[in-house]
Amino acid sequence: MEQTVNQMDDTASAYNFAYLDEQTKRMIRRALLKAVAIPGYQVPFAGREMPMPYGWGTGGVQVTAAVIGPQDTLKVIDQGADDTTNAVSIRQFFAKTANVATTEKTADASIIQTRHRIPERELREDQILVYQVPIPEPLRFLEPRETETRKMHALEEYGLMHVKLYEDIARHGHIATTYAYPVMVDDRYVMDPSPTPKFDNPKMDNMAALQLFGAGREKRIYALPPYTKVRSLDFEDHPFEVQSWDDECGMCGARDSYLDEVILDDKGNRMFVCSDTDYCTERQEAGHRGPQHHDQPLGSTKSSPNSEKAAE
Amino acid sequence: MTLNAQTSDLLPGFDHAAFDSNAVFRVLLDAMSRPGRIYDLPVHITAPDGLNASATATLLAMADMDTTIWLSPGCATKAATAHLKFHCGSPITTNVAKADFAVARCDEDLSFITELSVGNAEYPDQSATLILLVDDVSESTEMICRGPGIKDTHNLAVAGLTPAFHAWRAENHHLFPCGVDVIFVTDTKIAALSRTTRIEVK
Repeated sequence: MEQTVNQMDDTASAYNFAYLDEQTKRMIRRALLKAVAIPGYQVPFAGREMPMPYGWGTGGVQVTAAVIGPQDTLKVIDQGADDTTNAVSIRQFFAKTANVATTEKTADASIIQTRHRIPERELREDQILVYQVPIPEPLRFLEPRETETRKMHALEEYGLMHVKLYEDIARHGHIATTYAYPVMVDDRYVMDPSPTPKFDNPKMDNMAALQLFGAGREKRIYALPPYTKVRSLDFEDHPFEVQSWDDECGMCGARDSYLDEVILDDKGNRMFVCSDTDYCTERQEAGHRGPQHHDQPLGSTKSSPNSEKAAE
Repeated sequence: MTLNAQTSDLLPGFDHAAFDSNAVFRVLLDAMSRPGRIYDLPVHITAPDGLNASATATLLAMADMDTTIWLSPGCATKAATAHLKFHCGSPITTNVAKADFAVARCDEDLSFITELSVGNAEYPDQSATLILLVDDVSESTEMICRGPGIKDTHNLAVAGLTPAFHAWRAENHHLFPCGVDVIFVTDTKIAALSRTTRIEVK
């Protein structure tokens, strides 16, 4: 790619645009088009070694590298946060190799690479969500042989998955699976939504944005086109439910977002904060306050009845 | 044929290999994930005899030595074959069943489409993609599309589609998850029909 190298900055001239060579990108792009055409089906692809270990998002990075263009703005989140090691290093990787703009704001991003969360803010048609996937095969822990799971998908033989959910009910009285909760895509393929909390599953259904999934170690790509039916598996008498909290976010007072529990000391004090840092920041900027926000009077550990007042 | 004779007539490929192929891919990704919606070709490219600009851009962005191309009699000109061999390095086949990308003009005999690979139940991705050169695509209500990627309905009209093509497309949809995906290309526009798309023909 002599031509490409010539037109790049000196700083990045040792690499092709977005790190991967053009042939690799074409191979991934072909897999992506097939993945979009067969929603929920895992397309094998010739995953490359990336300059980061497996488990750090090599699949998502390869998908992003094949999709990203110079006009894109990239956001990377790890468990909802923009400022964790994994998110920061992947964001810097693309800032360096593709010279693209990066952002921490969900609304400003055209591509969002995510590890295990879907942003709280509703995504738009002009956005692409790229998931990092550790184990793409939802049936893998039930059936270790790839030849068999292929056949099960081909024959739509998903009884085993229902047995697993049933065993949860038999043992715990409810479906105890809380993340990587299996979904049925467009009434055909059972898909692993990656280890996102099941709280995020309903957001996948009929989403306006395109969702792409990359598993680097397992070398699989799959996708959900926009406005695709995604149903979480359940039973008539045990319908699918998402997590809920008695607490609110300690910083912004949100009650509608996914909350992380933070242990504050060894005396049993704890707080809950939004896992989605951008959502929490936006709410705080809009004047929302939770009981543990530094603006709040000291010692107010109980949620304040005025916590929503500032926003009005 | 000497190398000189072969290269002197060659047309240039993309202005910028990385950026242009990315731009074309993004349009194809949008088109395939929103079947029936029409997109503009985002780059300027000269097409060899036998192909049009969007078909050329699609092949240059997606095809390489790993993909076999089949060209219909109307597309398989010397110029087009040489162009694809040089820029993509793709093997060109005369056996339509082996094609990863099959390229044809809409007004030709399309009876070959029944021979295209549809993949198999375990690997439905091992199917062909049909690139169909057409004169015009518009949003008139000739085909009403529903399915994944489509919020309510998308309307698509493609100039010159025959009832036989529509019948094949309907059958192709029923093969899901196997099946052929279709990309319609005019000189300036691109639209796609994924195998998932349900079409009501008016």
